[in-house]
Amino acid sequence: MSTPGNAMDSLSAALKCNIIPNQEYLLQGSVLDQYVEVLLHRLRGLCDNVDSGPETFHDHEICFSLRIPNSGATTSMPMSVFSLRVRRAIDVTDTPFQLRYIGQQELGDKNRPTVVRSSIDMACSSSIIEFLNELGCRIDFEYIARGYMFRKGRMKITVSKIFKMGSNKQESVEPISQSYIVELSVLAPSGQDSIGEDMRIFAEQLRPLVQLEKIDYKRLSNMM
Amino acid sequence: MGVTILSQFFLDNKTGPQTIEVLSKRIAALGAVQQGHFLVDCETYTSVPQLGHQRTVHVLHNSEQPATVFSLLDNGTKITSLATDGLFDLLMMKMSHFYTSKKQTKVESKGLRYEIGDFCVKLGTVTVSSNCKGILVEVEYRPCVVPAMCWDLMKEFLQGFLGTAAPTNPPAYLQNKMQDIYFPIDTIHQYLDHFTMLRKKLFIS
Amino acid sequence: MSYSVNISVEAPTENQIQEITYDGTEIYQPPLTLSESLAKYAQKIDFSKTSEVEIKKEESNEDSKSDTDSKDAFQSSLWPWDSVRNKLRNTLQEVCVLADVLAIAKDKRYLVLDPVQQEPLETKPMVQIYARKKALAGAASVLLAGSEKMKNSQNEAARSRTTLDFHIELLRLRQNWRLKKVSNTIIGDLSYRTTGSKYLQTGTFEVTKAEDEEKVTSPPSSPLPGGPAPVKPTSALRVSIPSELQGVAYIEVLCQKDQEDLCTANLTLLGSGPPPSNPDMHWQQKLEAAQNVLFCKELFNQLAKEAVQLQAPIPHMVVGNQIMATVLPGIQLIIALRHSTSSDKKQQNPPPSKSDHDHVLEHSLHQLLREVHHKNTHHPFPHPATGPLGPSKKRMLAGPTAADRYELLEMTKTQTLLEQIVQQAQHFIMRMRTEYVLDTIAKEVKDPLITSHWNTLNSPTQSCVKIHISTHGYDAVCRTPLIIHVGEKSLKCICRDGKVMNMSYEPQELRDLIFCHINQHQILAVQALAKTMGWQALGNSNHLGTGTVEPLGNASSCLLSSPTGDRIIAVRCEPSDTQVSVAHSPRQDFFPSRLVTERKWEHLGGQFRDVRLDKMEGRNFLHKMELLMASLTSSS
Repeated sequence: MSTPGNAMDSLSAALKCNIIPNQEYLLQGSVLDQYVEVLLHRLRGLCDNVDSGPETFHDHEICFSLRIPNSGATTSMPMSVFSLRVRRAIDVTDTPFQLRYIGQQELGDKNRPTVVRSSIDMACSSSIIEFLNELGCRIDFEYIARGYMFRKGRMKITVSKIFKMGSNKQESVEPISQSYIVELSVLAPSGQDSIGEDMRIFAEQLRPLVQLEKIDYKRLSNMM
Repeated sequence: MGVTILSQFFLDNKTGPQTIEVLSKRIAALGAVQQGHFLVDCETYTSVPQLGHQRTVHVLHNSEQPATVFSLLDNGTKITSLATDGLFDLLMMKMSHFYTSKKQTKVESKGLRYEIGDFCVKLGTVTVSSNCKGILVEVEYRPCVVPAMCWDLMKEFLQGFLGTAAPTNPPAYLQNKMQDIYFPIDTIHQYLDHFTMLRKKLFIS
Repeated sequence: MSYSVNISVEAPTENQIQEITYDGTEIYQPPLTLSESLAKYAQKIDFSKTSEVEIKKEESNEDSKSDTDSKDAFQSSLWPWDSVRNKLRNTLQEVCVLADVLAIAKDKRYLVLDPVQQEPLETKPMVQIYARKKALAGAASVLLAGSEKMKNSQNEAARSRTTLDFHIELLRLRQNWRLKKVSNTIIGDLSYRTTGSKYLQTGTFEVTKAEDEEKVTSPPSSPLPGGPAPVKPTSALRVSIPSELQGVAYIEVLCQKDQEDLCTANLTLLGSGPPPSNPDMHWQQKLEAAQNVLFCKELFNQLAKEAVQLQAPIPHMVVGNQIMATVLPGIQLIIALRHSTSSDKKQQNPPPSKSDHDHVLEHSLHQLLREVHHKNTHHPFPHPATGPLGPSKKRMLAGPTAADRYELLEMTKTQTLLEQIVQQAQHFIMRMRTEYVLDTIAKEVKDPLITSHWNTLNSPTQSCVKIHISTHGYDAVCRTPLIIHVGEKSLKCICRDGKVMNMSYEPQELRDLIFCHINQHQILAVQALAKTMGWQALGNSNHLGTGTVEPLGNASSCLLSSPTGDRIIAVRCEPSDTQVSVAHSPRQDFFPSRLVTERKWEHLGGQFRDVRLDKMEGRNFLHKMELLMASLTSSS
């Protein structure tokens, strides 16, 4: 047995070899409640092994952010807000919590079919919420997502309904809108842009039920 | 998974390598078989002053649990622990604006790993920026998960090859958890305690 | 006609041939220009056709005019539009005259239009009726004949179904197979790619319409209504399968010991009988056969790959279409791919395997590859939903729960198909050996009785047998149960007292163990019997160290004394035979000697004397012992 290498060394080696899937290719869209059945039907036709019906999920997500309070004074800092998402499955209890960092999204030019954003995804123990609180993070918002997921090759398609968290109890959740959010995503090492093309073709097959597009959040926030 | 006891060991007038040599001879005489190497390292990050009162995040890796990154967050009053996938290191890099690390604070314990019956013994040389700072002996008794139930046995075993230098009481960290089930994170806590001690020794000398 | 159909007819685009030269080159006329063709068509218009009668009348009146016409005709040869112009002019003239006449007639002053009295037609109703009747009858007969003909052909088609509609057939094909259209051809795919196979060989086939000649030739055989041979429906479809997938394939699994077959298994998807691969075979069977060939090839390919990669203590051998793996010392597992195409089927037809075995290995191989396929497509979904696709749930938990490297290593381990089938073969042989050992012992040993119960529920690599050793008529007195777990290369026996014995694959070990337990059973049973008879067990030993050395195991023995203590029976059981000796306590042959003078010593017991069990009455050993004890008790 060889000497175990330093964990950081092996990580940086892995980064260099580009085998860590830290880029998320993403397309998003939405579908009204009354048409979601049709969409699910279509997805069942398109996706891999749905003979046993679509996989359901019921997750709780909390978004934390770490910010420097007097960010005005330290304008030299390029980024003073750092957000982290913690997600756990409510329906499947023996699964780990998922901690996720999502980087700035790159829309790219028109030729790029999908949004690309860096994403660091890790399973973690249930002490994560306490840990993040101690780390200095604040809860920005939280929600419940319930829906269906599909896969087609490396692509993951989720059709989820977002619920507002009730005051305290789990039961008192209320839907945020009359529609479902549809996301088509692939987590891959950076530089694998060919997957974007596959995603575009797949999204094309879902039209006109749902228009999966590159959503520009900056523009959305400007509109509001 | 079993119960692990970590203790410091030093011999007067002996350097680190010499001490290791003495110990490995003793353990080999007991019939232990060498089974590869091991490495436990610890990187320490401290919060930037803008973030309010100072917090410290210790990120540790143990080669025994290669898929896991352990993080211990010390806010001065209590320590919060977290176990995650290997990508946590990547996250700490992303957080470099909030938590920074100094190269000098990196500690690691490294050495040979022996197996003798149900025991697993690791003789580690602790180094801080390639200066040997001490010897840590880790003994794991694998069939048991409750420290109280095997402490006496382990004490005896430790005395068997450490002699009078063997600890007479359980490690401070374990003392009020003797009846609880032992988890790998508890080993990490012990390592952190020793690393902190040894690091202080560095600053004193 | 109400069902008129517009039919557009177009002239061929080719030009007319003007001349063919001697060397065969055709010189075409240059195509007409637009104006030329217009003139050509205009000339073709027959303006006089509708008003033929009037023109003729006019001609008689105007002789002079006809002269001018002829002059015009003469001129017309000079100018192509001339005749058209003249005719139009005449028409105009006529229309003008008609208009004038109508204008005058409208005034009713100079001209009055009177209806001309028409001469009434001579109508003969009867004649008309007959004529109509005849005409109708003619039309009806034509229609009837036509309908009869159609009905006949319809019936014919329905009865023989010699030709199915191509499109209906295609629809049926599409319901079962993957098809796609590539330019003008229809390509199908019979590979297992969509169900998770990663085998590289493609399974494409082409669908074509059956040739017309074949369709035409087949009906003539059918019209005979009493024809003996029912006409096989010929399909309107033809599927052409690549040559490497034609024929019949199966995987042969043989367990061989010293060139002697222990078991054989043939894997075919289509049952045992190889289907004829004649061209008339229905496409469904043809495709299924081809798919089977592909499946067998994939399976064999996978096994061969693994056989080369695996580091077995005795290396696996891959020679041609055959893999040889050593299962147990001296026993080989031979997996062979048998693929016979229609041409060489006759010569290569293997003799039917002599041992008709259970189809376990056949089924297993089949199942194993299917399982691999299933695993390739059925990846677990992550929970929560944002997690990465791919890693198993166990692997996802490894980080947070701090799994150590042994656990992680364990997760990466997967068994190859070959390893699994070797294990199953090992188990198969182990089971067979165990069965054989138990059966032979049961046959050899009549007393006590040995019964074995095989559990009906077992796994491909583990089964369990429960053994009872009991004596006929005395099973309530004593029964020795044993449980044997048959594994892949070892046996585990759980004894009556809870002791666990691990044995290797050698059948002799099991044999020894059973014999040892038979002895113990006999001794225990005698003691139990003695208890019911009021006798006392003085002592026993399962492994007696004295006496003659047994070829295997040790003898067991016990010592019993009668209720009054005046008789002692000693029993010694060994695999070869059972010895019973009896001693009287006040010894009957006591004679005071110089050393032992006093009479009291006679109570020490005398010499043991052998009982000749074979001469005794009794069904079995215990029965004899019961009689013996009874007789010894009563005589006191």
